[in-house]
Amino acid sequence: MHIADGVLPLSVTLGGYLAAGLVAALKVRKVRQEELPKLAVVTSAFFVAGLIHIPLGPTSVHLLLPGLAGVLLGSSAFLGIGLGLVLQSLLLQFGGLTVVGANTIMMGLPALACGWIFHRFKKTGRWRQMLLGGLMGGLGVVLAALGLALLLVSGGEDFWGVAQIALLAHLPVIIIEGLITAMTVGFLARVKPELLLTPHHFRSESPHA
Amino acid sequence: MPDAVSSSLPLWQILLLIVFLLLALAAASQALRCLFRGQSSEEDRDWSVPPLEASKGRSFFHSWDVRCKIIALVGFSFLVVSLDHLSLAFGALTVSMVALIAARIPFSRALMRLTAVAAFVALLLVIMPVTVPVHPGDRLVVLTEKQWLVFNLRGLDLALTIGAKAMAVALLMEPLLGTAPLPITLHGLSRLGVPKLFGQMVLLSHRYLYVFQEEAGRMATGMRVRGFQRSSGLSNLRVFGSFLGMLFIRSFERTERVFSAMQARGYHGAFPEPETKTLSCIDVLLAVLWLLAGTCLVLADRLMQ
Amino acid sequence: MNFASRPLFSLHGLDFRYPDQTEALQNIEATVHSGDCVALVGQNGSGKTTLAKHFNGLLHPTSGSILYKGQSLSGKYLQQARLEIGFLFQDPDDQLFGHTVLEDAAFGPRNQGLTRAEAESAARQTLEIVRLEHLAYKSPHNLSFGQKKRAALAGLLAMQPQVLILDEPTANLDSFQEAVFLKLLHDFSGTLICISHNLIFLYECCSRALALEHGRLRHDVSFSNLVTDRRRMRAYGLDFSFRFQPEAPRPERDLAATGNHSGALSSGPFPKPQSCLIELTDYSFHYADGSQAIRKVNLKMEEGERLALIGENGAGKSTLLSVLLGLKRGSGEYRFDNRAVTARNSRKLWRQVGIVFQDSADQLFSASVREEIAFGLRRLGLSRQLRDERMERVLDQVGLQGFEERVPVHLSGGERKRLALACVLAMQPRLLILDEPTAGLDPEGEEQILAILRDLRGSLILATHDLFFVRELTERTLVMHQGGILKDLSSRDFLQDKGLGSLNGLAYSYRLQAGEAIQALQQAHEHALPHLHLHDHQHWHGDVQHSHPHLHEHIHGFIHSHHQDQEEHGHPPRRVQEHVHRKHELEDHVHGHGPEEQK
Repeated sequence: MHIADGVLPLSVTLGGYLAAGLVAALKVRKVRQEELPKLAVVTSAFFVAGLIHIPLGPTSVHLLLPGLAGVLLGSSAFLGIGLGLVLQSLLLQFGGLTVVGANTIMMGLPALACGWIFHRFKKTGRWRQMLLGGLMGGLGVVLAALGLALLLVSGGEDFWGVAQIALLAHLPVIIIEGLITAMTVGFLARVKPELLLTPHHFRSESPHA
Repeated sequence: MPDAVSSSLPLWQILLLIVFLLLALAAASQALRCLFRGQSSEEDRDWSVPPLEASKGRSFFHSWDVRCKIIALVGFSFLVVSLDHLSLAFGALTVSMVALIAARIPFSRALMRLTAVAAFVALLLVIMPVTVPVHPGDRLVVLTEKQWLVFNLRGLDLALTIGAKAMAVALLMEPLLGTAPLPITLHGLSRLGVPKLFGQMVLLSHRYLYVFQEEAGRMATGMRVRGFQRSSGLSNLRVFGSFLGMLFIRSFERTERVFSAMQARGYHGAFPEPETKTLSCIDVLLAVLWLLAGTCLVLADRLMQ
Repeated sequence: MNFASRPLFSLHGLDFRYPDQTEALQNIEATVHSGDCVALVGQNGSGKTTLAKHFNGLLHPTSGSILYKGQSLSGKYLQQARLEIGFLFQDPDDQLFGHTVLEDAAFGPRNQGLTRAEAESAARQTLEIVRLEHLAYKSPHNLSFGQKKRAALAGLLAMQPQVLILDEPTANLDSFQEAVFLKLLHDFSGTLICISHNLIFLYECCSRALALEHGRLRHDVSFSNLVTDRRRMRAYGLDFSFRFQPEAPRPERDLAATGNHSGALSSGPFPKPQSCLIELTDYSFHYADGSQAIRKVNLKMEEGERLALIGENGAGKSTLLSVLLGLKRGSGEYRFDNRAVTARNSRKLWRQVGIVFQDSADQLFSASVREEIAFGLRRLGLSRQLRDERMERVLDQVGLQGFEERVPVHLSGGERKRLALACVLAMQPRLLILDEPTAGLDPEGEEQILAILRDLRGSLILATHDLFFVRELTERTLVMHQGGILKDLSSRDFLQDKGLGSLNGLAYSYRLQAGEAIQALQQAHEHALPHLHLHDHQHWHGDVQHSHPHLHEHIHGFIHSHHQDQEEHGHPPRRVQEHVHRKHELEDHVHGHGPEEQK
């Protein structure tokens, strides 16, 4: 879900940029600077994953994947999501240019939270990781939807109704994202557990066959 | 209940309303057509990311200094989104239209952006009139006698204003991005103080997006030729899960290779930068004029209250 | 070899272990001199790429050392050295990270410290060399695979490297592109280190071979020496001599395998009309941008026929295949099994038509081999028991017994290819399509695939550049060119076509020539015959120490090259042979200065 231009008050859009910039600056310090290109390349994969739409009854939903981003990217997830949203705005007009900051906060903070929880509690079991991944997939969307509602409400009481409906509309998305994230994490745990091992893939060379 | 008046909007607003509803309808029908045209078209739609830099022509947008262009258009966008009145939002939309024509942007590009916004706007148009709390002085249209569906025109006005603003900004994206190669635009951004790394990362992501998109498309075909049909069963979600998993495995592997390739060619933390142009007076003047126009709109907006 | 000059690279006791402690390289000792053209050969997984990555410091040895021009590759010196060492990656997309082709080619020169203008002119020059100057402002994703490969090479050549390291430079290139690429490499004067399974390509550009096996350096020999030793070649996964064996007896078309379908085919000269499996009439397909991919194609294919689809890249082969699979719909009539294919039933074509992609990674997406094969069978609605039966049968067929619980991603390239084939075969399609079945395989993998395909019955379409597979597997050949079918003839006639070499960019002639040359080398074998040597070594005449060339007669085994046309073994006994006679000094022999040798 992306907010378009013109919905949020100016103060919130500018505040969003400020907050996103601050968090990003903090996170950039945690990644070695010359390894940021790797993050950029992985982000494009998330962008492509976001283009997939899953059929849901008569319509379909696009994947948001804040939970999965957190699981796979760890504390770099915020940067990746910000970058992805910039690209979506530039290329596809998903989310306006003036609200990229707010959108990044809305999606990025849940990703960070999910990433932290996942890596704190994942341990080693495949099923455990899968379950936890699924929970994080759902939680990511819940948090993002709450963020969306909060942002909308900042526009005044006129937007209460929209916020409520937006929250409701996310209910099926929560379930689908949860299930798909669980499946993806389960698949990775089996096929390439290294990807779930550490949130910092941007440190060491991974072995090649 | 405040005064329940049936339609006393000025005629031009009603006309605009009809135009917008038509646009929304067109977008919806487009979406439906894609849905019903069957699997193949759906697949095509999934994996198509439109290229930037579609406009090859020459216009003053093409020769405008990129820094001035960014400041003027982005600044204008922020001014536009702070408008409160429908008429002025339409004024901004008109400015965007003029810019679009002046920059000789292909119609299809503009349409793509509009349809992306249209879904959101259509949603607001449907929701807001019925959910906006009723204030004294609001015009209400009571559609049924028992008042269970009250159509608040203030909500419609609000939704239309937002829609107009969103479209105005969306349309400006094309003159902003489509009239110079992306690296030049991003370099302009970095000369305005945005960290260089940001632009480089956007460029890299943009490059590999197409690579992964192709990869994902081939994988989707691979699934289809073995009988995979889109539907939301649990077993299908499992397939989507493995599909995503494969996509990420391949992307992480490629990431390592790309980074090696960069190192192998002497990368150590910095990208070479594109050519810079010197600023001319006209560039600056145009930017100032553009921002002035935006400021005038905002001033008029505030004075109307 | 010039031992006087300092070696460019010297490797001493180089060990490498991945972070997870898997041993990749052990005790590598080698030197590479300036101007050498070295082939790195070995089976998949023998550590070739890992070793190659040491040459430009992408990996660092766990113990031991690698010296470039006498200094260890690390820190500032490594940065410097990398600007002189070009590394061509297997997938050009990994390397083309620039926004446009020109920008990408200028990336290296800019890092070398050139100004923007200088870098751009260097980039432009190399783009002209690789003949891509007209695409300089295009984005890499708009290029074809061959063009990308050349663009990636341009990015390296623009840096004027002293060393070029190539990782599988010819993988997925058609033979025309391969020839173009080879020509570019011939013009390169520096040191070349090349990883490849493509024997013919290596033969053309390398003079020396380093053979790796399980992370150890087994041989360091001249390339022609390696080529003549089939046993060794086989050990290094390079043996492609199965290609030279006489044509295997073609299995009789056995249609019983497809017997559960109606319309069994008579192999008589007049096929019955109902046996027509595929019928395309005036079929055309346009891309969204209006360009025509295939135009007015007319094609009839009988059930049980084996067809080769030949054509340069971009001739429309893959579009035609997509049409046959029901993935793309154009204008014209397409009848499958005498029924018109409509928008509705084209979605069911997957039950009848199976395809094995060029890149098996696009086709394998499950967490285990069992699930992978069951994927399509589930969609067919088969019961569990039936699924297991079929799985067992196909795994047996492709030689992957006992692989059920393995993870497809972890299999080797050849195994993955066979698995992809098994997945399709399990669905028992009436028409099997193979798109470049040998792409990315080593000769051993090719041989295995060939053996499987030979035993298959039923209708087959084979899109390939590999004429050997055309000969072995098909009876009829369609030559495509610019979206149309240029020729439709029997494979035998096609292969005997003298105009083949120049046929619309299908440059096969160089492969054929090189193949013959290698075959000639392989005909060489050992003989123990007396023969003469011209020696130069220190010897004594009384008190005087001499060193001058002089003739000896010897009897010892040596490799003699026979010409291909030579039926008999004629070994002129007095001919001077130039092969190395090892340990000659240690042999007891007299040095009489014969009258003819005295000066």
